[in-house]
Amino acid sequence: MRKFLTRSLAVTGAVALLALSAACAGEREGATGAATGDSTSAAKGFAADALIGVALPSKTSENWVLAGDLFTDGLKQAGFKSDVQYAGASTTVADQQSQISAMVTKGAKVIVIGATDAAQLATQVTQAKQSGATVIAYDRLITNTPSVDYYIAFDNFKVGQLQGQALLDGMKAKKPNGPWTVELFSGSPDDNNSGVFFNGAMDVLKPLIDKGDLVVGSGQKDIKQTAIQGWKAENAQQRMDSLLTSTYNGNKTLDGVLSPNDTLARAIITSVKGAGKPIPVVTGQDSEAESVKSIVAGEQYSTINKDTRKLVAETVDMIKALQQGKTPEINDTKSYDNGVKVVPAYLLPPVIVTKANVAEAYANDPKLAPLTK
Amino acid sequence: MSRIKDLQKNLFGGTTSNVRQFGMIFTLVAIVLLFEIWTGGLTLTSGNLIAVVSQYSYILILAIGMLMVIVAGHIDLSVGSVAAFTGIVVAKAMQEFSIPWPLGIALGLAVGAVIGAWQGFWVAYVGVPAFIVTLAGMLLFRGGNQYIGNADTVPVLDGFRTIGAGFLPEVGPDTGYNNLTLLLGLAACLGVVWREWKTRQTRRTMNADVAPMWITVLRLAVMLGVIVFATLRFASGRVGTSLPISGIILIVLVLGYSYYTRHTIGGRHIYAVGGNARAAELSGVKLKRVNFLVMMNMSVLAALAGMIFVARSSASGPQDGLSWELDAIAAVFIGGAAVSGGLGTISGSIVGGLVMALLNNGLQLEGVGSDMVQIIKGLVLLLAVAFDVYNKSQDRFSIIGSLMRPFSRGAPTAPAGEPRPAPDSDKARVAG
Repeated sequence: MRKFLTRSLAVTGAVALLALSAACAGEREGATGAATGDSTSAAKGFAADALIGVALPSKTSENWVLAGDLFTDGLKQAGFKSDVQYAGASTTVADQQSQISAMVTKGAKVIVIGATDAAQLATQVTQAKQSGATVIAYDRLITNTPSVDYYIAFDNFKVGQLQGQALLDGMKAKKPNGPWTVELFSGSPDDNNSGVFFNGAMDVLKPLIDKGDLVVGSGQKDIKQTAIQGWKAENAQQRMDSLLTSTYNGNKTLDGVLSPNDTLARAIITSVKGAGKPIPVVTGQDSEAESVKSIVAGEQYSTINKDTRKLVAETVDMIKALQQGKTPEINDTKSYDNGVKVVPAYLLPPVIVTKANVAEAYANDPKLAPLTK
Repeated sequence: MSRIKDLQKNLFGGTTSNVRQFGMIFTLVAIVLLFEIWTGGLTLTSGNLIAVVSQYSYILILAIGMLMVIVAGHIDLSVGSVAAFTGIVVAKAMQEFSIPWPLGIALGLAVGAVIGAWQGFWVAYVGVPAFIVTLAGMLLFRGGNQYIGNADTVPVLDGFRTIGAGFLPEVGPDTGYNNLTLLLGLAACLGVVWREWKTRQTRRTMNADVAPMWITVLRLAVMLGVIVFATLRFASGRVGTSLPISGIILIVLVLGYSYYTRHTIGGRHIYAVGGNARAAELSGVKLKRVNFLVMMNMSVLAALAGMIFVARSSASGPQDGLSWELDAIAAVFIGGAAVSGGLGTISGSIVGGLVMALLNNGLQLEGVGSDMVQIIKGLVLLLAVAFDVYNKSQDRFSIIGSLMRPFSRGAPTAPAGEPRPAPDSDKARVAG
């Protein structure tokens, strides 16, 4: 028994020592973290081979997959270590939250975030900021937190305006004089951009609706009525099916549909075809391969070319500027209020694409160019 | 008796075979060590441990309720939807009627209780299988979430965020650590020592085998070592952080429910019902009441988990709670519960949940994509349960087998004789 006792005491001592030494090795991180946590850290720059984290939504559209690949290549070429992550398909928000936390733990110096739900990342973004990282909101503005440093995107209000204008142009080409009957669609209500697109389009369309030149056939003009949850094709198709049954069952014609993106545009066209109606003028966005084919074939009227290559290249340039301790280039310091602060933004101009300029617009795109011939 | 046998018998809980649970704890340690080496020491940094606890506390809270549901022989598929529904109700209530946040939490728990009563009613008193009732609930409350929230993201007040993103305040002298976390650690150490001593006393008065002194000391040493290590880690995070509030809520729940399921008549009734409902009823267990309470309890915990997630996310969104039920169910089964009911422990489920959480975290630290993470998690779940099934068919090592025997003899309260519950709940406490 005594032997056991002495032995066990030795073990106790050893374990306690181990635990203590392990713990003492970890100095409290706050001592240094607090000093670098404020905004001055950006001005100092960081190592040229630092880790850059990129957190993107789940792989639901071609654009995100392409963006991820471009980030991996672009950051590698610029000499950084990169960690590019997509959220899982079913648990998007929670996944993205833990991915951002993991990037902070790994000591990423810049974290680029394409948010799944722009309002649910405040905790992680603040955590990133406090660890001294710079946070760049990519394509979607992160809301309700003061910890977002920059926002980079295509000018989405402009996208909406272009869509509205394209809708009008397309309908005028088919039927020179109004009034025209239209239906409105908007994106997912949890995506901050949906409202921006819609407001941009309404900026062009509203005066005509007020004048009576444009008639919304179903009367559904409010963004709550026009929203398509999750940007899902099936939801858009369902809504269009119902609209056709409720409003266009007689010989009432539908001249145009405002669609916020290509996936929804194709779903809308499928629905109209299914009902045996002539295809109206349908707008789009994203330059998805299927929609480019559709435009060439004369079905979908327009899309928007937001060249992901350019956006990623600009983001990488921004990161390079931060690395050198410079302030990155900004061209908008007042439009993007996230509810807590106005986030400095760099906006790229979008380009409208119709059948008329489709070949020219995608001439430099290795994937889309062959489709336009 | 050889010393190895002594160890096996006494170190990891009880005389009945707890090999499966021991196996899970071993797996957990192995995963931690593996990733600690693989990630170059990132896994056990203060920042990461704090992040893991606040990221997974809501899943672990669900696992507590789910364990009880599964032990009673049911399943609950609606937890994610209930969580999302509660989240949006609370967020909306605070936004539109500007009610103070403590009242918001109370409202959320009340919503959970009402939903639970609804589901419990159908399961217990109408006799609709829980699978169907909660499948209906999954649709019902997901729809309710979208109906109330307009599929919108609704931000919550800063005060409310404490339960999901809050930390213990920094008080007292500057020790280089978070003082309150240190105090909690100290309390945990004292608690462990006190209970160990008390167990020895009880066994002595009952003339049961008292574990040899060296085993007690060794066990204490291991547990104290883990507690001290965890405490110092959590206390030495960035200034302003500590053991997360959500982690403290989790620990309180784990301790409370562990005690309830092990040492109270009500808790043992759940096992009796799950083991053999008919026998339990004949021996005087109020079957309907047990079923009702188990289902209701699950929804209340789901409501709490939903609020913690909303608090952490700073807003309630339409994607909250998606596939949470699967994470919770996986944690429970990895932690050794039987699909047929009647078996499983809270601490086992927590360990199971932690295995998943640390696996997830480690893979993410390594930059493994979410597609591979899902594949790996799926395989782990399958292998963990297959391991147990295999061992059972080989007639060795099986906690299920060894505990089912008493049931088949129609002695529903027999498994109450797991006399040494202590170490497991401590593991959970440390990890939490």
